[in-house]
Amino acid sequence: MAKVDKISNQPLGLSQQDPALSGDGEKLAVIVDKNRRPSVQLKDLRNGRIIPLRYLSRHQPHSSPSLSWNGRYLAVIAQRGNRRLPIIEDRITGRIHQLTIPGEHVPIRLSLAPDGGQLALQYADNGTWRVRIFNLTNMLEPDQPSGFIRSNTKEDIGI
Amino acid sequence: MKSRLLDNLGCLCLILTLLGLVSCRTSQIRPLNNLNGVFFQSENSYREPVLGSKWLVSLVNSNGKEKIELIDLRLRRKVNLPGINRSDSQPISVSVNANGDRIAFIRQRLDKTEILIYRRNLGTTQLIQLNPKGVPRRVSLDGSGRILAVQVSRNGRWDIDLIRL
Repeated sequence: MAKVDKISNQPLGLSQQDPALSGDGEKLAVIVDKNRRPSVQLKDLRNGRIIPLRYLSRHQPHSSPSLSWNGRYLAVIAQRGNRRLPIIEDRITGRIHQLTIPGEHVPIRLSLAPDGGQLALQYADNGTWRVRIFNLTNMLEPDQPSGFIRSNTKEDIGI
Repeated sequence: MKSRLLDNLGCLCLILTLLGLVSCRTSQIRPLNNLNGVFFQSENSYREPVLGSKWLVSLVNSNGKEKIELIDLRLRRKVNLPGINRSDSQPISVSVNANGDRIAFIRQRLDKTEILIYRRNLGTTQLIQLNPKGVPRRVSLDGSGRILAVQVSRNGRWDIDLIRL
């Protein structure tokens, strides 16, 4: 049995599911029930603050959050009309990437590579779970561990 | 019908962009067929994928048996994980750190649901105790593999425990 230290995680007063840590361990994305709608919530673990999201405050239900290394990119599966789509919010530029999958499969779970260069997606195909890896290098700037981000809005977005 | 919907999404994004509210792009993403074709055999079922920097860990159902599988994406090969998969247990959730040397997973074994850390360079598994007790459902490791987030069921609600390893 291992000796482990529990880190303080102030309860939000809401049921929290589906945790995803950023690569640097400083941010946590979870799914909470906000007005009975599963919604992604991003928390800065250094100070316990909730970090506001520009675009992903809408298009619920959200599921399967995933963060890049410094938390620049937040990916979730979200609802647009009658479709489930992987959506990535770039918290530096405010840019939104709505992704469609060849074959128009319904995404079930996703995982973003720490640098944002690849995305792994799970979807159903004829009753079988499939996983495929997709290339995002032509879409997202790398979010590297060094975390050098020259932006005067750094503190505003909690990076 | 679906292409019309996508067109409408694109138009909406364009309007929002022109209004300066948000920059929004709808893109069809390209699968990495050179990787996907090598690793994902059509007769197996794959779920719960998690990417490290050059690693993919997932749960694979092969011949009715679930197991944890780690793929080295750079060397394009499956990685042996001696001792991680047992015939008397079923993995439920899995996560990998950035450099692929630590794997956190939850398994159902007999009537217990356990959290474990697998250290690949040592080939050892470490049992993680929840305090207060609860039933774990999902795990996430940070890049260093030293912080673990666990979704835990306690008293009818879901909590997230953060554990420094």
